Amino acid sequence: MADDRPRWREDFPVRWDEDNYMTRRELAKFMTLGSGLLAGVSGLVAFIGITGRIPTTPITRIAAADEIPPGGSLLFRYPTDEDPCILVRDASGKLDAFSQVCTHLSCAIVHRPDEQALACPCHKGSFSSSDGRPLAGPPTRRLPRIVIEQRGAEIMATGIEV
Amino acid sequence: METRQQGLPLFSAVLVLIAILVVIQLWLVAAAVDALMARQTTVLVPTAIASIGLFALSGGLLWYVMSFDARLRHWNRRG
Repeated sequence: MADDRPRWREDFPVRWDEDNYMTRRELAKFMTLGSGLLAGVSGLVAFIGITGRIPTTPITRIAAADEIPPGGSLLFRYPTDEDPCILVRDASGKLDAFSQVCTHLSCAIVHRPDEQALACPCHKGSFSSSDGRPLAGPPTRRLPRIVIEQRGAEIMATGIEV
Repeated sequence: METRQQGLPLFSAVLVLIAILVVIQLWLVAAAVDALMARQTTVLVPTAIASIGLFALSGGLLWYVMSFDARLRHWNRRG
């Protein structure tokens, strides 16, 4: 029987289909190795959590308590100078603070006191100014809340709730 | 005595089981990282224990199917 293989096959005898072929045995070993890696990652995350190596958030003064009138807002940066946030006071006088970065595409949100909302002008997204949940538009995730405390006449930022 | 007819579905079933366990582990890792970012450290240890348990289960399944395969080869050599 004549050999109809091309001549170059003699010089390059490796077949790609065989080279890419993976047996079920190899796949099972590979997935178990992946399982071990994931177990290691879980252990590492637990270790980081237990030993308290998570970066802690600073306690920062935002403003004087009487600086913001009912329905007013104030921009500040927390926890670093790269993180814009907004402090809002509703008509009843309650204070809330949120990240000013829209959870859709990171535009800066603005306060709309008449709608009791924080609005994103880029894509007409809207968040509740009382709890940061998305109300309208493309955003699906709530705004990170900045934990605030009133200490005497000062309003302090003490943490972030993602 | 183990036969190849038994081995094929057994290998496939174990493969599917290990794949499901890996997907659950992926979910656990995602939940653990989420909890870490939210500084809810109480869930991290149970998550790690569950993940290590799933790894042990995957390893056990792999060991079982490999030993089955070894026994099958042994019988084939003898018979």
